[in-house]
Amino acid sequence: MKYLIEKFGKINTSVLFLCIIFLILELIGHRYGETSIEDILFFPAFFGYLSCIIIFKIGVSLRSFLMKDEDYYDK
Amino acid sequence: MISSFPPGLIMIIGALLIPFLPHIIRQIYMLVLILVSSYALTLGFGIHYKIEIMDIQFIIFQSDSLTLPFAIIFHIAAILNVIYGAHEKHWNQHAAIMSYSGAAIAAVHAGDLFTLFVWWEATAFTSVFLILASKTQRSYRSAFRYILIQVGSGMFLLAGAILLMSETGNSEFRSFDINSLYGQLIFIAFGIKAAFPLLNGWLQDSYPEASEIGTVALSTFTTKLAIFCFAKSFAGTEILIMIGAIMTFYPIFFAVIENDLRRVLTYSLNNQLGFMIVAIGIGTELAINGAVAHAFAHILYKGLLFMGMGAVLYRVGTCKASELGGLFKFMPITAICTIIGAISISAFPLFSGFVAKSLIMSALGKEGLVLVYFMLLFASAGVLHHSGIKIPFFAFFAHESGIKTKEAPLNMIIAMIIASALCILIGVFPSYFYEILPYQIHYQPYDFSHVVGQLQLLTFAAFAFICLWHFKIYPPELNSTVLNSDWIYRKMIPGVLLPLLNLINDINKKIELFIEFLFISIKKFFANTMIKNKVFDREVGQDTLIVVQLFIILLIFIFVWKIYL
Repeated sequence: MKYLIEKFGKINTSVLFLCIIFLILELIGHRYGETSIEDILFFPAFFGYLSCIIIFKIGVSLRSFLMKDEDYYDK
Repeated sequence: MISSFPPGLIMIIGALLIPFLPHIIRQIYMLVLILVSSYALTLGFGIHYKIEIMDIQFIIFQSDSLTLPFAIIFHIAAILNVIYGAHEKHWNQHAAIMSYSGAAIAAVHAGDLFTLFVWWEATAFTSVFLILASKTQRSYRSAFRYILIQVGSGMFLLAGAILLMSETGNSEFRSFDINSLYGQLIFIAFGIKAAFPLLNGWLQDSYPEASEIGTVALSTFTTKLAIFCFAKSFAGTEILIMIGAIMTFYPIFFAVIENDLRRVLTYSLNNQLGFMIVAIGIGTELAINGAVAHAFAHILYKGLLFMGMGAVLYRVGTCKASELGGLFKFMPITAICTIIGAISISAFPLFSGFVAKSLIMSALGKEGLVLVYFMLLFASAGVLHHSGIKIPFFAFFAHESGIKTKEAPLNMIIAMIIASALCILIGVFPSYFYEILPYQIHYQPYDFSHVVGQLQLLTFAAFAFICLWHFKIYPPELNSTVLNSDWIYRKMIPGVLLPLLNLINDINKKIELFIEFLFISIKKFFANTMIKNKVFDREVGQDTLIVVQLFIILLIFIFVWKIYL
């Protein structure tokens, strides 16, 4: 635990623990979604994690042609 | 008569006195104006005030179950704006905000399109001063573009209203058919103000250029007025579902790479409008409630986020992520309030965003719109990324920027605390909140599935961000300009038009030269024929002219003779 906090920081470790708690909660109760795909075990967790990574990846790849100099419009 | 005085109008008329009042009295006076205006909300539903000019009915004040929640939140937002801007001693922004809020409130109560048009344009002309208030070259240019686009939107509305009037004989502000020409014109007018895809450039262009007070006010009224208009006139119009889904989707990527945190919030605003547009497109009672609830909650938490960033701008002078960081220890209350706004917009349970967004997601699920549902779910993770984490993280934590400053002024803190409290109250007591929505339906956002599903989605999305940051995969924020749809009229059109105009100019010059050459040639030719003994020699020419004249007279004579005899 100490190692994790040292390596990962207090806040980050807390978020990690929250993630684990919410996964355990799903195992305790019965979670269902608005659509049948969402009923897959831990679906929102996977979806949330992957979405964030995809958004990041696309965002970074867009930098090369959407990002211009700060004074681009003033030139 | 006085009891049916249209809400908002008193604020516009009252704003005329603002320049003449001393600072403290002016602030109290503005709060009184808003309270007096809000009295009209107690009159109940129906048409309260109309006038007739040249056989045309103008419904100045009408209210129903849709106008009420918008009128309530517009009044609350107006009060928050007055408190938030109380440190500003000069009258100009106060007068602009008061008349701008009044115009938006009056527009919500308009019962016909011509009355709506008047207030529609009034919101544009009053709000532009909030952009000009920054007094920078960039803000002047941006304000110019803003007013052109806003007035342009009004022109579409006016054209639609005139066409409707000529076709149906009345201009009642009601539900319209998208397949009719007037319906399409009105749709475009609303779409410009709602910042539809490719029509959204003005939003990211102008709002971040406004003053710290101005942006808070701007984020409240214009776009939400458009949402109200869509809910009133185009509920259940299917095309809105796809437009809204695109709106939720694409601004996320722009927000991720944008460096100016107030501009990030405008992308986020665009994304949130998408949720509302989708709900209006669905058009069921649950969905319309969702759209209205989302607009209501959004005004509060987005206003709160803009207030937080406005406070940072006021104290530090910049809102660029690349230049900020580590401000938590200097501005802890601002940071906490901004975090509450960020948690609310991310739709964590017990906060306003959750109880509003749940309505929309449930409506989508019930209609079986799976693709759109997942687009919005994806967008929800995106909201957490750019508004939930990026805004508070880069402003108050991230790295040590070396900036030393102090907490926001007291009035700003009070406004932020009130907005934060409202975000939490709505989230904790959703049943009271749902009572003011247009349709009375039974809905319970807090069930096990909703709460656990949402918490998993958000915490894992947050964990993904943490991993990216911790393992130094997340690239540093850079001072930059991110191209948006305003590029079309700021760069592309001038870039295409100017060479085209130059080309036309060149061709024009060449034609002129050719004509000149032709003229000179003809002149030379005739000059040659006028020399002695040629056809147009002065003496010979006179004889020739006489012959020609005689010939013409003969022709006229034959012509007349043929007709009459």
